Amino acid sequence: MRTLLWAERLKLKRSKILWIAVFSAIMVTFIVFMQGQFQYYGHRYIDKATWYMTATQSLGSLYVFPAIIALMGSYMICREDQDDTMKSLVLVPVSISNLIRAKLIITSIFSVVLYTFLFVVTLTVEAALHISLLDFGMVLGFAKIYLLEGICLFVAVSPVIAVVYGLKKGYWLALIFAEMYSFLGLFIGQSTMRFIYPITAAFCVAGYYETTTVQFVISLCSLLACGGLSLLLLHGLNRKRDIY
Amino acid sequence: MLNLVQTEFLKLRRRKFVWLMLLAALLMPLVAIFYFGALSTIEIMPMQFYKWTALSYTPWIILPFVLGMLCTMLMYDENQNDMLKELWIIPVSKMGYFFSKFMIVLVYSLCFMLLTAVSSILAGVLPGMIVFTNDSVSFLLIKCLEVGVLTPFAMLPVLAVAASQKGYILPVCVTIVYTFLGFILLMVNMYIHPLSSTTAIIMRNIPGVVMEEPVHLGKAFLCIGIWGIASTIWARIALSKGK
Repeated sequence: MRTLLWAERLKLKRSKILWIAVFSAIMVTFIVFMQGQFQYYGHRYIDKATWYMTATQSLGSLYVFPAIIALMGSYMICREDQDDTMKSLVLVPVSISNLIRAKLIITSIFSVVLYTFLFVVTLTVEAALHISLLDFGMVLGFAKIYLLEGICLFVAVSPVIAVVYGLKKGYWLALIFAEMYSFLGLFIGQSTMRFIYPITAAFCVAGYYETTTVQFVISLCSLLACGGLSLLLLHGLNRKRDIY
Repeated sequence: MLNLVQTEFLKLRRRKFVWLMLLAALLMPLVAIFYFGALSTIEIMPMQFYKWTALSYTPWIILPFVLGMLCTMLMYDENQNDMLKELWIIPVSKMGYFFSKFMIVLVYSLCFMLLTAVSSILAGVLPGMIVFTNDSVSFLLIKCLEVGVLTPFAMLPVLAVAASQKGYILPVCVTIVYTFLGFILLMVNMYIHPLSSTTAIIMRNIPGVVMEEPVHLGKAFLCIGIWGIASTIWARIALSKGK
């Protein structure tokens, strides 16, 4: 498994997708900063301490990052078929199940790293604007929200990656499905269903929404169900491929 | 030019996914059934319903995203399969090629918005949520046509990015960021981003929508025009370089 993870890391280094993801993250921070210039009752949004960190995390997680994470995961998995390198890997021989597992682990790490990067950028901007209003506990709270959001969002979109892998129609399909999936979260986030719907459940587990213990457990179960579903789907697909 | 457009339409027949993307037009009307269904005790005005189903998130996010994907798909296959060389040998004019793709996006956008309009009417009238009135329906159709015509022009930068790239990772990521930027800038300055300008033009006379200041149509069209021309020039340069 370690060899597979090492190989995947090297493959990613050659790919432009990492830079595109970083570019997307920087653009999100820039766009939210622009939104912060909007005046509401004579005050700019960004003048309020922690607004920037809260808005970047929520807007990015609803509109941009689920699609980017799903694209990354499906790109890593589907490119072996699209570039016709899967045959060579099978000849090595590499277990397809282990290969897919390694790719999913790398995607989850990527998701956490993306959110860590986002946290560092937003914290820097926030510190530059309101250093005196930030305290250590608050920063730690946001660090927890960002890191948990990264891992939970990966789990929430993992069924999309598995479905796209099964469809074998191209990895950009993941982007469309994930965008629709996260977009619906915008409406479901306003209802009581937000503890169940995986995208908004990720917000609940991360601590963005205030939850009771029961609601937290429901959200956690929803995410675990998502993770379980994707593992089942991938296991089924891998078994089918192993036969051939 | 007409031959090119006709060829593009013939190519579309092979792409089932392009037609499947039209289903996204039903998303907001379906969400509206549940949303307004929960407010069953309140009387819903047709205009309020249509504003929600066809004139909010659809032109702000759903349509730009779908058109961005379409632009990428239209450009990607020929780039990937190295068919552009053969097209240049015929010879097909580079701008003719670019605008034939744009025509497809324009027609697709119109079909998408008409489907949104029809599904909005059906989603409101069939469950008995709103009353069918000629005024509101004709207003909805006019607004949907406005959205359908203007949004493809606002999406020209994405088409240019797709034309300049061989892969589709960058164009699809640009689509997401571009759409998100247009949506956010709507609240900051409407005349910087073509999508925000398009929204400003659409919102100018919708009953119940209060703008901070009256919409300046000239500035909005100027913004769309400048971005459109710059994108066309960029696409022309990129296609000439053969990238």
